[in-house]
Parts: sequence; structure tokens; C-alpha cells
Amino acid sequence: MSPDKPKLLDDTIVAVATAAGVGGVGVVRLSGSDARRIAVEITGRRFEARKATLAEFRDAQGELIDSGLVLCFDDGASYTGEETVEFQGHGSPVALQMIVDTCLAFGARLARPGEFTERSFSNGRMDLAQAEAVADLISSGSAAAVKGAARSLSGVFSDRVRDLGDVLLRLRVYLEADIDFPDEEVDALADGEVERTLREMLERLGVLLGEAQSGVRLAQGASVAIVGAPNAGKSSLLNALSGEQAAIVTDIPGTTRDVLKVDLVLNGLPVRLVDTAGLRETTDPVEQEGVRRALAQLTDADLVIYLRDASAPLLQIPPAWLADALQVMEVWNKADLVDEPDAGMVSVRTGAGLGALTARITEALGHKADASAFTARQRHVQSLRACVAALEAALGIAVLRQHSELIAEEVRLAHRHLGEIVGEVTSDDLLGEIFSTFCIGK
Amino acid sequence: MQHPNSYDVIVIGGGHAGTEAALAAARTGAQTLLLTQNVETIGQMSCNPAIGGIGKSHLVREIDALDGIMAKAADAAGIQFRVLNARKGPAVRATRAQTDRALYRQAIRHAVESQPGLDVFQQSVVDLIVVGERVRGVRTQMGLDFIGSAVVLTTGTFLGGKIHIGEANHAGGRAGDAPSIALAERLRALPFRVGRLKTGTPPRIDGRSVDFNVMEEQPGDEPRPVMSFLSTQADQPRQVSCYITHTNERTHEIIAGALDRSPLFSGTIEGTGPRYCPSIEDKVVRFADKTSHQIFVEPEGLGTHELYPNGISTSLPFDVQIAYVRSIRGFEQAHITRPGYAIEYDFFDPRDLQYSLETRAIEGLFFAGQINGTTGYEEAAAQGLLAGLNAARSVAGKPAWCPRRDEAYIGVLIDDLINLGTNEPYRMFTSRAEYRLRLREDNADQRLTPLGRDLGLVGDKRWQAFEQKTRGLAELSERLDKTLVRPGSDLAQTLFAASGQSVSKETSLAAFLKRPEVRPEDLQLALGDVDVGLLLQATIELKYEGYIARQADEIERIRKHEKIRLPDDIDYRSVEGLSNELREKLEHHRPDTLARAARIPGMTPAALSLLLVQSKRRAQLGG
Repeated sequence: MSPDKPKLLDDTIVAVATAAGVGGVGVVRLSGSDARRIAVEITGRRFEARKATLAEFRDAQGELIDSGLVLCFDDGASYTGEETVEFQGHGSPVALQMIVDTCLAFGARLARPGEFTERSFSNGRMDLAQAEAVADLISSGSAAAVKGAARSLSGVFSDRVRDLGDVLLRLRVYLEADIDFPDEEVDALADGEVERTLREMLERLGVLLGEAQSGVRLAQGASVAIVGAPNAGKSSLLNALSGEQAAIVTDIPGTTRDVLKVDLVLNGLPVRLVDTAGLRETTDPVEQEGVRRALAQLTDADLVIYLRDASAPLLQIPPAWLADALQVMEVWNKADLVDEPDAGMVSVRTGAGLGALTARITEALGHKADASAFTARQRHVQSLRACVAALEAALGIAVLRQHSELIAEEVRLAHRHLGEIVGEVTSDDLLGEIFSTFCIGK
Repeated sequence: MQHPNSYDVIVIGGGHAGTEAALAAARTGAQTLLLTQNVETIGQMSCNPAIGGIGKSHLVREIDALDGIMAKAADAAGIQFRVLNARKGPAVRATRAQTDRALYRQAIRHAVESQPGLDVFQQSVVDLIVVGERVRGVRTQMGLDFIGSAVVLTTGTFLGGKIHIGEANHAGGRAGDAPSIALAERLRALPFRVGRLKTGTPPRIDGRSVDFNVMEEQPGDEPRPVMSFLSTQADQPRQVSCYITHTNERTHEIIAGALDRSPLFSGTIEGTGPRYCPSIEDKVVRFADKTSHQIFVEPEGLGTHELYPNGISTSLPFDVQIAYVRSIRGFEQAHITRPGYAIEYDFFDPRDLQYSLETRAIEGLFFAGQINGTTGYEEAAAQGLLAGLNAARSVAGKPAWCPRRDEAYIGVLIDDLINLGTNEPYRMFTSRAEYRLRLREDNADQRLTPLGRDLGLVGDKRWQAFEQKTRGLAELSERLDKTLVRPGSDLAQTLFAASGQSVSKETSLAAFLKRPEVRPEDLQLALGDVDVGLLLQATIELKYEGYIARQADEIERIRKHEKIRLPDDIDYRSVEGLSNELREKLEHHRPDTLARAARIPGMTPAALSLLLVQSKRRAQLGG
């Protein structure tokens, strides 16, 4: 290895820790074995751990950049688990960037997104679910997501998964004791307890999965597709909703002419709006491909808004288009063209009813402003879904009242999927539970 | 003096590990010596007279598939056979044989004495001859040296053994036998981590003083199972019944009133006993709300009246033993022939071993059996076979062999021991095997016999029987696949009459058999002349097919991790990003592959990716 090549894992990383352009105070965080040395280079002072010290920050040439507080944490006693220094300066992005540049000049490396959290996790300072929550906290752009991330971090989500894990563990103890100790008069299948527990688990998992899914929307944004007959006002609705918010309009490569996406925040909830302007019945093979892609967007969307024209109520889209949609909300537009508009109708042109529509959309996405939502990565949702599938298979066998070894196999799989979220349970843990639950042994 | 013969492999100990080790080494062609304190106790069952049971019978069948002796001896000595979990699925069914101690000993001794290339010598071993970091032989009590290239140590509970009966205790390897004190002292001086374990036995009872009429009789199963792939019922002796009785509140009162005189509760016993095989005083204390515990009354043999009351092992004083035994229904007049006792003994931390069961510290020195912290004849025999095989292979300059967790319970056993160590006597359970649906009794031969043949363990007789079975199974599978059941056909009617199941469209017999409602015997009439055993096995394969296929992905991923080697000399303390706890564990276990690192408790996906990075980085630097 060449001597100047940086080591892979034990180098010192630096990044601005506060959001860009926000607030009066900005923080630069430095973590790794050289953190203190670099802090001394920049300030010309030494620091006691966990004691805020006022200092001047100077660049490599000795020019004053800013002044502020410096906080040092010892190896093993910081957020990342490594030696860490925080520079708290004034919030100017330029000054913060100069501090970062100076750290780089003294040997630090720019941190990748989420790398502080990754180190914290690697050093055993938090579990996987907590680490991901922190990552979400850092990247979340909306107030509700910050609240949700904070909840998950405090372990609400982990705790609930663990509670379910405990139920599964007790179930496995029962099944495995019956298998491994047949002389001990345990009959797991006789009294229907296994079925009852499986049904209860599936019910609780269903609730958790629902909340985890809205958690994913908090972290990643929900997707909402707008569909309707030509001239129903789809693009106008998209513009109206995004016009109120500072939206970023992005073209999707390859589908430019068919689908347009807009990211925006509705009532604190990040939402990706998808306009399927190109969706119409056609026999042209090129256009058919466009239709196929647009339909795929409908299937993927958390919510499909079916925009109707109140002035032309007979205009409809083929019902087959909505057959695979997760959730469809019918919205009548052009209220201004109707003599006596129904409640709930909107007029994109005049703006009437748009506020109520926004509320309807966020409610349909399962988001309430004060809900106990938590961030949960797609990974969690997948693990929970796999857990549900395994338990459903287990229940399918359990009702036959035979083959407890196959029930045990499905429940083992279900348990492992929960373990993907909060850590595995080993067969030794399982045996330990068996021995403390049953009086085993000849 | 030095003995004129020199050996490839020297095995110390004539118990279940020692005999399988010596036989396996000799089968593969190594010149082998079995050294025992007493030739008369070769194959002795020190604890209860039974072979097999849940998880254990799986090991026995695997030993048998590798042409070991245990299953054949169990058939020759078995006086009551049962299939446990018969009402559950085939993967967790387990054969258990109540055995006649004397017949079992005879069968083992006969096998040892018939094995070409295997010598037996009676002498206590007092020292290992170690040159540098390599073992060169052993020294016996009379000062006789044996030169050997590899040594397998299978000393059971004899290392530093101490027997407790109430407040009294004395040194002993087993009731009536001397412990190996000198060897224990010598081994303690070598760089092995030593721990202390405890196990116990119940008082034995004279059957003539017992009233069987008030107990529940437990006859053997019909049809009677066999333990070995090569045995038939004709190989088994006369069959007898076991009996079941129970402790009662009076029994528990007597025991509770004498706890202050139990070495277990007074602190005299330091060793840890098994949680799944607690003494009766342990059960009374830990499960105080239970007013009764089962006792299996097992005959010690055909030629004796002595009984083994399974479930009341104890280290209480003898007067308490008499009192509580006589409080039990059927035992009111019982005469105790031998008091129950607890025994404490040394074991060596198996995490200091390699997968071959060779010690990391001394080249050529192998450990097998209770010395590694396990309990049970079957666990001991499995390790013995593996250690004997690998000792012979190391002498021949061949690489060591150990089955994987998805191949055999033997693999699960060794992997658990080497990775996790143990803090109680380790016993096999099916729940330890994550792939238990494929690790069955019925297919142990298919899993292991071809491997055993390649390793030189499997003789011609077994190999021919195996090839015949394999052909028969292949023919039957083809027949099941190709025979089509058409709606309304004679075949469909025959099947409907047997199973109550009909077909609505053309269906293969295999697909028909796969239905949960269809039993293999439903096909017997339709198939005409068919081997029932083969049909049963074909059925199992069909019914588990989907589950086994699903596990294949998981196994494939682990195999990939197995190919990623972690160098011996990684300094885990300097690997950044690992928690201190994991650093210590990795330093301690020193896993040789990523797959084994993944099995260390508390290992996280992030830590594994760090290790992956380490191994890749080292590979790029050229090691």
C-alpha cells in the first residue's frame, strides 16, 4: 500500500451538520482519530472533553474565518463512538464551507451522506432501526417527517417490532418444546392456541404494516397519480397544487412525453405528483408503449386521483386502467361550469375547493398532522410483509392440526424477517426460553 | 521404555467417542492404537441405558451412514424400540432404543477387536509427549511411551472427576472407576481454557422390589424400527417394556426439606449442569408449582433386575434418596442398588479447536466427546468419528473434513461448539438445526454415504446396499412421475377407494401423492409390488420438496460467505468501525470464513460488511 493512500475505515471525516441556509448557528462536525489534532490546527488551542470553549477559527494560511464554540468528545463517548469535534459558528453557508475546506486541508475527508450515522451504527452506538431513523432525520425535508423520525429514534418502532418478536418467540417455544421434548406432555396443536396466536399476530402485524407504510411515505414521499379523460384538467390541477408550493418539476428520462412528475409538500407530507397526460386509448404501437408506462405509474402510486369533468359527466376512462390501482379518489373538476356544484367539487381555474382537496389527499395517504407516524424504510415494510406471508402460510398448515414441524419452519422464517429489523434471535436463545418455561428433562 | 510399535493415530479412551475415533481412523487405513484404563469397560454406558431420541438419533443415523458402529450396536443391544414424534412430520421423527448395557458393550468390543489395523492396550495415560508445538506420542502410568503422529483425547468425565453424594465427595471418573488426575494436571499446564461442568445420575433400583402393576406400561412400537440402515429386526434381541410412574407432593416435601444437605444448593458443586436434564432437587425448586414429575422406569438389561429410574437424578444424601424413592408409587418397597450421584469434571473450551477437532495450540492433538463440553453418547460418538477421521487424514497429509450445517447434524454440532462454545453440557436438539427439514433420519445415507465412501470410511457392504437403495429410489421416482392417473380410469378408482381422493384432470402419481390428504399406503395397492421403505421415503421427499427448494437460496448465500476467507492474522482490535464487544468476540473466535463470523452471537450486518472489506483489502494487497 502506498503510504499516502488513505485508509479505508479509520480516517477522519468532516461535514456541515446543520441544514443548508437555515438558522443563526451552523455546525461543522469532525469525526475520527485525527479530529482533535485538526481542531488544534484550526484554533491553536486545546480542549477539554464535553466542555464548550470559545475559539477563533482560522484557515490553513492563518486567516480568520469565524469565531464560535468548540465541543470535543472522546473516543467511545461521542455520537459516532469516535473522537469527535464540533465547531459551532455563525450560520453563514460560506463560513461553514470554509471551515470544512480547512479541515480537508489538514487531512480530513468529506463525509459521505449518512456516514456519521453509519459509523455510529458500526461502533455499536445504536441498532439498525435507530440508525436508519437518524439517516431519515437528517435527510427529511418536512416537519412531520422530523417528528416521525424522532419517534422512531426513541425506539417506538423498534419496541413494537420487539413486542411482536416476543409473541413469536413464545409461539416458537411452544412449537419447539413440543417437537424436541415429546415426552413432556406439551401438545402444541391440540388446543388451538397456535392458531389463535397466529391470527392475533397477523392482526397486529397488519396494523404495524399500515403504519410502517405511511412511515415510508414520510421518509420517501408518497406518490400520487392524476388520471382522467382528455381535458378534465389534469395538468392544470398539477400546476395549481404545485404552484402554491415551491415545487421542482422534473422530467423522467425515457418517459418524457408520457409522464411528468412533481415533488411537493402537502400539509407537511412530501408527495410526488405524477401527471399521466399521455394516457389515452390508442392503436398506435408507439403510443401503446406510452400507455403501458403510464399504467405502470398508476399501479405503483399510493393514491390515484381520477379527475372527472363536471361539465361533461359522461366522459370516462376505461375502467381497466384503474383495476390495479391501490387506492382511487374520484375528484370532480370544473365546479365553476356547473349551476349547482356538489360539495367536494373543485375548480382548478378559480381555486375553489383546492384546500379541502389537499386535506383529502393527505388523509387518504394515511397522514394526520399529529399521527404517531414513524419513519420506516422500505426495508422494514418488506420485512414485515415477508413476515406476514410466512405467518399466513403457518396458519394455513395450523388449521389442518398436523405437521407442526412445517408450522415451526414458517414461524422460524417469520421470526427471522422480524429479526432483520431489530436483530436476530438464535436457537440458543430459543432453547433458553424453552428451559425456563417448561420443566424439561428425564 | 518405548513400545516397539509406532502408530499413525493413538486414541485415548474407550468410550463412545474413543471407539468411533479408533474405528474411523483404522477404517481409512491408519495404524491405530486404542489406549484405555480398562478393556472391560470399552463401550460402557455410564448414564442411562438408551441410544437415540430427538436430535440424537439423527446423529446416530449419520454415524451409521459413515459406517460407524453406534447404530449397529444399538440394534444388537436394543430391548425396546420407539419412534418419538411418530404423529409429527418425518423430519422430526426420532428412533430411540432402550439398550442392554452388557449387550451394547459386547457389540462395541467385538467391533473394535474385529477391526483390521486397530490395536488395543490397557494402561492409564499420564502424559502427552509434546515436541515444540506438535504432539509425538503419549506416556502411560508404567512409564511406557507410545510414539504416534496424531493423538485423539476422549477422556469423558475422567479429567479431574469428582463425585458428590450429599455432603460427601471423592475423586472418581465414574462410580467405581478412578479419575485421570495426572493427565488432567498435565493438560491444565497446556494453553487450553478449562471449564467445569456437572452431570448426575439417579439411584438404581432392584426390579424385584418394585410393584409394576401400579405403573403405566410402555411397550415398544410395532412395527419395530431399526437403528442402522443395514439392520433388520432379526438383528435385535428379545423385547421388553418400560414403565412410567410419577413423583408426588410427598416426594417434593421430602426433597424440599433436605435442600440444605444438597451439594448443588450448598455451593459445593461449582460446575454447571444441563438445563434440559435437571436433577430432581432442581426441578422441585425451579418449578415449585408442579406437584408431579414423570419418571420413566427403564430396564438396565435382559440379564439383570436392575432398573434405571429416568427423571430423578440427584446428588442428595443417601438417606434422603431412600426416603424420596420410597414415596413414589410402585417404589414403596424399593431397594436401591447404587446411590445416585453428581459428577463434576473438567472440559476444554471447544472454541480452542479447529473444525477438524484438532486443537489450535498443539498440532496433531485432537479432542472429542465430553472433554469438549458435550453430553450424550451420540454427541460423543459423532465427534469421535470426525476426530479419528481427521487425525488419520492429517497424518496422511490430506485436508480435514467436516460436514456443513445444511448437510448433517454432525455439522451443526461441530459448528455450534467451535463458534459458540458452551457453558452447560451441550446436547443436540432438532431446533438447533435450521435446515432440519432436509436433515432427516431417513436420508442420512443419501446425505453422507457417498461422501463417506470418498473419504474411505464406508466399506463395500454398506456401499453396495446404498447403491441398491439409490437405484430403487430413482426407479420409483420415475414411476411416480410417469404414471398418469386419468379421471374415471381403473387406477383412479383404486386410488379413490384407498384415499377418498379423486382426480379431475390427468395427474401424475407423484402429484397425487403430494396432496396433504394422501398417505403413502394409499398407493400401495395401485403400485402393486413396491418396497414400502422406498415408497415412504419418496413420499417424504415429495411432501417437503417446496420447503427444501426454498431453503436452497439461503444455503447458497451462506456458501458464498464460506468461500470468503478471513486471514488468521487479522488484528480485529485495529479494524475501525467494529464495536469493542465484537472486536473481542472476533479476537476470541477467530472465524476462518465470513459465514462462520456471521454465526457469532451479536454479529451485525454492518460488521460483516466491514469484515468483507477487510478480507477484500487483504486480498488486493496480496494476502
